[in-house]
Amino acid sequence: MQKEAVFTDLIREHQSLLYKVTSIYSDNKEDQEDLFQEIVYQLWKYFDSFRNDSKITTWMYRVAMNTSITFIKKKKRRPDSVPIADVFVKQSDSNDDTYEERLRLLYQHLKYLNTLEKGLIFLLLEGKSYKEIAQITGLNDSNVGTKISRIKKKLKINMAKQ
Amino acid sequence: MELEELKSAWTQMSDELNHQKKLTNQIILDMTKQKYQNKFTTITKYETLGAVVCFVVAFFVLLNFSKLDTWYLQVCGVLTLSFLIVLPVMVLTTLKRLKNIDILNGSYKENLKFYLKTKNRLLRLQKIGIAVGFIALFFIVPVTSKIISNKNVFLTSLKTEQYIVFAITLIIMVFFCRWAYNGYLKITQSAQELIQELE
Repeated sequence: MQKEAVFTDLIREHQSLLYKVTSIYSDNKEDQEDLFQEIVYQLWKYFDSFRNDSKITTWMYRVAMNTSITFIKKKKRRPDSVPIADVFVKQSDSNDDTYEERLRLLYQHLKYLNTLEKGLIFLLLEGKSYKEIAQITGLNDSNVGTKISRIKKKLKINMAKQ
Repeated sequence: MELEELKSAWTQMSDELNHQKKLTNQIILDMTKQKYQNKFTTITKYETLGAVVCFVVAFFVLLNFSKLDTWYLQVCGVLTLSFLIVLPVMVLTTLKRLKNIDILNGSYKENLKFYLKTKNRLLRLQKIGIAVGFIALFFIVPVTSKIISNKNVFLTSLKTEQYIVFAITLIIMVFFCRWAYNGYLKITQSAQELIQELE
């Protein structure tokens, strides 16, 4: 299969992963679309350099999260994005109000975390083990454990306040 | 909301998202190409605007060329026309080539080589443009002066105010050219970094 086809299949297969990263690191729809496209571009740039020494999703998480951090630093709207609003995934297609409310609360809580904390809790919510989180973030296993327990405490205090 | 609830809300959202695979291959490829081309949007906009101004002025000079009644004014006229047409066309062509690098299909090495070659050509053109721009003042002024007010500046002695205006124009040009050239360096540098990062 051609490189181009392999890449597009990969993005299509894992678009929800990219969507979730962008939802954590952006405040509005425009930034989210822009960040999404930036991540796809960065993944393409580094696609050749991917070696099968880790899972493809581990590599994707890493590139996506690094791009998001750079994006937050720059935080300026880039011109002429490809219009993807109509095809952009939505958090929910359902009309379930309780579910919508839970999602709103979820993002509200995440908003109070800093960039690193957001990244760590995101990976934890994605069901990653400490070892995998360490592999993606470059932190060591015990450091991940310490930081995550601190984030949990921070979240708990924040949740109790509301 | 408890931590466990947070997790279950996230899992539910993940499940929903997994059923929404709406991106097409074409959109993915388009957004990748667009990102590269965006880097050159600003520069192309200014260059196109500048080129249009140059072409309009060139057209005006061409229409009034018969008013240039001496051989040296005609030489100045030809030089003015060349300056107003040739350089903008060359710059726009080079920019077009830069924008159209096929980042999806070409290999990294090929792209980088082509990019560096084209970038250097563009910068060289800009340097030439800046240098010629200064010299151009000495042949554009006689041409416009003859066409607009029918005065042959080679036969008329300039007043002190005119010398001052000329000197101020030169100083403004120095600063403008430095600003524009640095802008070029910055944009081309960032695009070059993009391609180098591919490695």
